Amino acid sequence: MEQVFANGLYLGAQYALIALGLTLIFALMNVLNFAHGQMYVLGGFITYTVYARLGLPFVVALFASGVTLATVGALIEKFLFRPVIRRSVREESTMLLAAAIAFLLDALILLLFGEKQRGVPKIVKGVFTSDALIMPYDRILVGILAIAFIAAFVLFMQYSKPGRAMRALAQDRVAAQLMGVRVDRYSMIGFALGAMLAGVVGGLLVAITGISSGIGGPISIKAFMMVMIGGAGVVGGAIAGGFILGMLESVGLSALHDYGDITYLVIFAALMVFLSLRPNGLMGKPWG
Amino acid sequence: MTQLLQVSQVTKRFGGLVAVNDVSFSVAEGEIVSVIGPNGAGKSTLFKVISSFLKPTAGEVRFRGERISGLAPHIVARKGVVRTFQETTIFRGMTVRDNVIIAHHLRSKANLAGFFVGSATARRDEAEFGRSADQILNFLDLGAIKNEVASTLPHGLLRALGIAIGLATDPTVLLLDEPFAGMNHAETKRAVELVRAVRERGVTVLLVEHDMVAVMRISDRIVVLNFGLKIAEGTPAEIQCNPKVIEAYLGSEDETIGLLP
Amino acid sequence: MSPTKKLAATAAFLASVLVAVPWAIAATGRNDLYYTLTSVALLSIASAGVWLTFYIGRINIGQGAYALIGGYTSAILVVDYGVSFWLTLPIAGLFCAAASVLIGLPILRLRGVYFAMVTLVLTEVARLLALALPITHGASGMVSIPAPGAIRLFGVTLVPDFATLQNPRLAFYIVSVVLMALCYAGLYRLVHSRMGRLCLSLQQNEELASSIGVNIAWLRVVAYAISSFLGGIGGAMFAAIAQSIYPSSFTVTDSVNFMLNCFLGGLGYVFGPMIGTFVLYFGWDFLFQTGEYQLLIYSSLLIALMLFLPNGLLSLRPAAKKRG
Repeated sequence: MEQVFANGLYLGAQYALIALGLTLIFALMNVLNFAHGQMYVLGGFITYTVYARLGLPFVVALFASGVTLATVGALIEKFLFRPVIRRSVREESTMLLAAAIAFLLDALILLLFGEKQRGVPKIVKGVFTSDALIMPYDRILVGILAIAFIAAFVLFMQYSKPGRAMRALAQDRVAAQLMGVRVDRYSMIGFALGAMLAGVVGGLLVAITGISSGIGGPISIKAFMMVMIGGAGVVGGAIAGGFILGMLESVGLSALHDYGDITYLVIFAALMVFLSLRPNGLMGKPWG
Repeated sequence: MTQLLQVSQVTKRFGGLVAVNDVSFSVAEGEIVSVIGPNGAGKSTLFKVISSFLKPTAGEVRFRGERISGLAPHIVARKGVVRTFQETTIFRGMTVRDNVIIAHHLRSKANLAGFFVGSATARRDEAEFGRSADQILNFLDLGAIKNEVASTLPHGLLRALGIAIGLATDPTVLLLDEPFAGMNHAETKRAVELVRAVRERGVTVLLVEHDMVAVMRISDRIVVLNFGLKIAEGTPAEIQCNPKVIEAYLGSEDETIGLLP
Repeated sequence: MSPTKKLAATAAFLASVLVAVPWAIAATGRNDLYYTLTSVALLSIASAGVWLTFYIGRINIGQGAYALIGGYTSAILVVDYGVSFWLTLPIAGLFCAAASVLIGLPILRLRGVYFAMVTLVLTEVARLLALALPITHGASGMVSIPAPGAIRLFGVTLVPDFATLQNPRLAFYIVSVVLMALCYAGLYRLVHSRMGRLCLSLQQNEELASSIGVNIAWLRVVAYAISSFLGGIGGAMFAAIAQSIYPSSFTVTDSVNFMLNCFLGGLGYVFGPMIGTFVLYFGWDFLFQTGEYQLLIYSSLLIALMLFLPNGLLSLRPAAKKRG
């Protein structure tokens, strides 16, 4: 029982971090970032390259992932989303642009890093054992780091100047503009921040599960589910959604083990029922 | 006079907030009745409850004696109680004429399959809707712009288009949502005439409005709300000298008083 | 367009796809093109369904699910129950429509990105179901599905047994193109009849639509059911041609592609998804020669299109009308 709970907590922290990036981009720009999973994969490969291939410290690798993805995110916002949002008649076009960017990143990742599954040397050795719990130290470290990042993000959004500007922007774009928030600038910062979070989680998880080029799509789908559970565009919702999905997965994998690979089927079905009762998720605002 | 629409003890709560508190009144056939009140008095909420876009927390709305609160909006429309919206709610991508033609939906005798294969009834319907739409548009002086795309129209005309859409459904009661909001003096005058003309067609009108001057000119009876409560009901003359009403309007920072000389 | 012009355009289209294309293929010996064109025809049927959901104002990324369900329905009936393929084709469509009513009733209340995300998840659910259910034979899928048999009426052979044909590719091509023509004719009629107007009213403002007496919940479900019907038919036909179906036959990527097809062709034009499917599929096929750069070039072109033609290919038509 404790084991399942600890696994869920560890998974949930990673998931929440992914969902936070997605929900931030959505809240700021009303864009559903299909390429979020691909950004995660790219972050993983960068950490792999810097840490395993170049032999630099893990922290440096993680930093490199974050910075690269922030740059990529900022460029994507400035040169792709901004002009398309300005010119298209229908909101759907951003979604299609996001899908095309997902394909593009998939292609780039495949060309740059190949299709092999990659792993890195353990960042810390050893396993924590007690009566109820067996947990490798590297997982504990990664879990703690993820939670630290979540806390830092929440504090940043709550108290820093850019954080406050972005919250204003998410609440009401026009009003924020009237209040003197520089919309273009903070959209770009927000997109960069969202992409950076995806990249950092990719970097963190490469230390545990490794990384391969094909998992971007499935990661995006998981991120969508978390956002739907918690409510789109809400920071608290993303965190809740992440931990709930992590827990469900952990419980499902142990409880439904004997029935084969149906954990996700059960989770999907539950999600459908849940959404028909609460269309806006746990904390989402009604919209349409 | 028969009572067409009865609002009985309607209360609407949102969480802890009571937006409409135990409001009752009724509308007789052929009347023009206005619901007024300062900002935040609960007018819009009451309007949505009457048109069944919101369910009342308590109380009910009856039309010809039959309970309509709680029914889906399209069923209420089918029974003959039709609402309009403020100007932004139109079919923006369609032409003015198409907006009105589509609003004839309730009058169609053919079913969708009939329209699909182009049956005789369907073709008769289409021709009839076109004629009726042209007639309504001319009636509201929109004939000249009927082929413009609706999103390109100025505000005043959009309001008229909203009324045209409402009329196309052939309503018994037309509920107008702030028909004079944001209009200048000349526009208001024209709109008032328009609403009168609508009544001349045999349509009963219930409107929710902010602009007192227009309301005084047009209404047979007025219901005044403040903080969700009905504080007065009567003819324009009675309302104008009701101390409670004057207090409510003076107490607010409202500038459209119109009550005082 | 006048009725005579419409008739002439239809006749010209049918003549070119049913006579000119087979003639050109015979002349050049490019028999492989039949498979490509058949795929385009079937994918554009499924895309037409997605287009219809766009038309009521919903972003549908779940068509892959219905294509998969349709494909399995037909394959299971043919292989395990010996039903004639021609009978399973409408059954597959109707089964998908019925399933979509059950699924649509709760989820069609969602709007915008929420609906899009749920339908995307739906595609994944269908794949997992196909993996988990005993009736679908799990990950190994269903292979060697027999070719469609003959249709005989009063002893007259209307359609020959495909297994006996010399050139089954041509036969599949003809069937698929005819099916596509039927679907698009139906869709065209639908969109230009009152139902289409009502769908458009839904797309533009659901509240106003319900205030003029439109039963929006019902209309949404009907449109979604038609959309899923088309997805099911496309999938069933695909399974018959490939003679196999796997859980991975239609995935999230396919669902996204269906949506891209509609978008590329233009959401305001009935024939948009057909053009879009044709261009995207041929573009993808053509880029095959670029080897490992295929996906890179393809996605870059897509992004460029989004940047320069944000409203679709058919918006290039000189006298673009509101509804085409």
